[in-house]
Amino acid sequence: MMDAKSRAEVKEQLVKALGESKVLHEKADLLPYTKDTYRIPLEDEYRYLPDFVVLPETTPEVQSVVRIAAEHRIPLIPKGGGSNRTGMLVPILGGIVVDTIRMNKVVEVNLPNLYVTVQPGITLKELDQYLEPYGLWLTQEQGSFKVATIGGSISTSGFSRRHQKYGSISDRVMSLEVVLASGEVLRTGQKVLYTSTGYRLHQLFIAAEGTLGIITEATLRVEPLPEARDIILAFFKDFWAANDAAQRLMTSGVTFSGGEAYEGHGMDKLGAPQGMKGMFYVLLDGTKGEVAAQKDFVVSLIAESGGVLASSDVAMSFMTIYTEQWCGARAITGLEDVLTTYIPMERMREFYDKMWNQVAPKYGIEPLPGEKYSLDVGRYRMAGGRYRLPKGEGAWQKYQQVLREIARLATSMGGSIQSCHGIGIEHRDNMDLEYSKAALDAMRSIKRVFDPDNIMNPGKKLPER
Amino acid sequence: MDSEPSEMFEVAEACVRCRCGCCKDECPMYSEIVEESISPKGRNILIRAIGKGVVQPDERAVRIAYSCLLCKRDEFSCSAHLKNAEATEAFREYLISKGVPMLPEHEPLVRSLENYGNPWQESKSARKRWAKGLKVSAALPGRTEVLFYVGCTFALDRSLHETPKALARLMDLAGESYGVLLEDELCCGSTAKRIGQRKLFESLMKENEARIRRTGAKRVVTACSGCYKTLKQDYPRLDKDVRVVHSTEYLAELVDSKRISFSSLPHKVTYHDPCHLGRHAEVYDAPRRLLRAIPDVEIVEMRNSRERSRCCGGGAGVKTAYPEISQAAAKRRVKEAEQTGAGMLVTACPFCVQTLRAAAEAAGSKVEVVELTILLDKLAKRGGAAA
Repeated sequence: MMDAKSRAEVKEQLVKALGESKVLHEKADLLPYTKDTYRIPLEDEYRYLPDFVVLPETTPEVQSVVRIAAEHRIPLIPKGGGSNRTGMLVPILGGIVVDTIRMNKVVEVNLPNLYVTVQPGITLKELDQYLEPYGLWLTQEQGSFKVATIGGSISTSGFSRRHQKYGSISDRVMSLEVVLASGEVLRTGQKVLYTSTGYRLHQLFIAAEGTLGIITEATLRVEPLPEARDIILAFFKDFWAANDAAQRLMTSGVTFSGGEAYEGHGMDKLGAPQGMKGMFYVLLDGTKGEVAAQKDFVVSLIAESGGVLASSDVAMSFMTIYTEQWCGARAITGLEDVLTTYIPMERMREFYDKMWNQVAPKYGIEPLPGEKYSLDVGRYRMAGGRYRLPKGEGAWQKYQQVLREIARLATSMGGSIQSCHGIGIEHRDNMDLEYSKAALDAMRSIKRVFDPDNIMNPGKKLPER
Repeated sequence: MDSEPSEMFEVAEACVRCRCGCCKDECPMYSEIVEESISPKGRNILIRAIGKGVVQPDERAVRIAYSCLLCKRDEFSCSAHLKNAEATEAFREYLISKGVPMLPEHEPLVRSLENYGNPWQESKSARKRWAKGLKVSAALPGRTEVLFYVGCTFALDRSLHETPKALARLMDLAGESYGVLLEDELCCGSTAKRIGQRKLFESLMKENEARIRRTGAKRVVTACSGCYKTLKQDYPRLDKDVRVVHSTEYLAELVDSKRISFSSLPHKVTYHDPCHLGRHAEVYDAPRRLLRAIPDVEIVEMRNSRERSRCCGGGAGVKTAYPEISQAAAKRRVKEAEQTGAGMLVTACPFCVQTLRAAAEAAGSKVEVVELTILLDKLAKRGGAAA
């Protein structure tokens, strides 16, 4: 943390560069920046106040802030919507939070080449609303759609529940503008989707969690809005029956946008026959003819797999509620965390069995009702779930052990600790389970090239040597 | 509707457990200011920190407390449906109760309420001006079934006088018997309550409720959404004995019973749900039923309508304290109306009319902001619609 003298000096410089209204320094304004949605020990909840928050609106303003931070060697924490789950935004070493929420402009909509160039602080929802009159959409749909920004989604390799057809944000990035720790602007390449010339620099910033630089502009591939959309929702006797149907769908060759199989909760309210405990939904997008044909195919597949279809109205309202209700359980249920592990399909059952039958009882954690299994249907083998954190004495240590066990399970099966969300501080010290020393050293070397003084979100993502 | 400090801290605690920030989506204040602290989430974090003594309720904290329109839009973005507006109102009361000075911009409102019984620094006798030229009956005990409660803003803003006149004419046309309080009418206390002046609100409520009860009316009709919400929800006993109805509900009943009908209006119109009428009191259908009763009118909904409607920017003391932000929020709403292709933006609240009309003029918009009662009055005919 800074002493009073250097704090005053930095404040003066920031205000000179950006103006009073873009520099926050009063405690009431800094409070929302002490943490993201990651759990930190209760005794530390007000510990990590940033020294300043800045609200730049342009790339030159970001450059000014970075140069001031570089001069004083102060940490910079780039922030998007602020809903990160891994502590990526916690100012563990103080410093300046570079809040990009006012960098929310669309720079260009390029219709013939189907791309859009935006500032990083626009939310996924705002961008889709902007694109709608052009007959376009970004295709990225996920729980935090209303909150998550483009910069944040890229920096955490955000998920999209329509990834099977449209990919995730990492597949949509064509070019990035990034302010490096030196204050220099890096353009990762031309606004092209296909090239064989340079190293793919833009890929380095996907899931970089702000540790390599601050994204100030992104060019993203967009798609024409589909003529027709549909959702099919079906009930099964249990999660594994729903999963079997999902796997048949995966190998059938039919095109679908995405889906999810999970252990249902309160399914009777959706009209599920008594005793049904598994659910599965499939999303379809395309021309009317395509969607109708896909629907026929999926409906037959569900019937052959022992599933019972929900009515169209129920499916539609389910999807509306599901899209809008993302996180609120946390406010009601209290301290919880989610699994977003990537597990090879052939080990999926073993993973869940070990997770809930071995790890959970050992540390006193339990799944939230209906959230024991939630499996992404598509190419991504994202095994989800949600659990209540350990309680009582030593709860924090137990929680850390649970995280380590999850990381060990996922990586020992050839999977990944986090398919989305990033690493932050939550799993930083478990990275050694997923990557070799050589791989981690290579990552550290890359970081040094971009950020030799370690001012870009220090203490996140990469474990200390 | 009252939220005690303990409930306010419970809301803050629940919100802080989650911290997702979904409430920022479509929040009219956050949309304009774009700072984390100016959102229900930011305010809840502050409320909790003040409760724990981590920060003091300083000037900045007060500014944050008052940078909210209490519009409740966030409740429909928040999956847990946290009562953030109630918590913010309680936060304002809490700050005042701790002796924290009110915003200087709010002082004239409070002084006027104390001295004149209205927030607009108008004399008590000015309250009857709207009725000039109309034959209205003073409400008298035993003779008044229906009390027409005009409210300070409709009664005292000359540019809005056409609404109470129109409602009076419509009631006359339908042959309704009603009384008015004229200069004896007192403020419902809504403004005082929204800006955290609980004691002032309670004293206004006590006197106003007594005056309403003294008329012996069985029903109170008001065209003001703010008065309606306040009389119905913030007066704990009144609505139990005297049915409080909004003019849109009242007029919709007159249409249903074929006492009035309307002539044709071949126009495209959109309807803006006032927060106090819509989200607070859940009256969404009555105004739409009235519009649908106009032959040939085409009603188009804005992108955000009914429970998702965006606030006009005129509520909860924000317009007085932050006129520029209030107008920016209103311009955003006018733009949503423009996007529907409607030529008329119809609403049913004096504050929405004032705020949206000023914004439409400032933005050079072609959309005409129209108060619903006035529109209906122009088209009204006695009796039911021809089959």
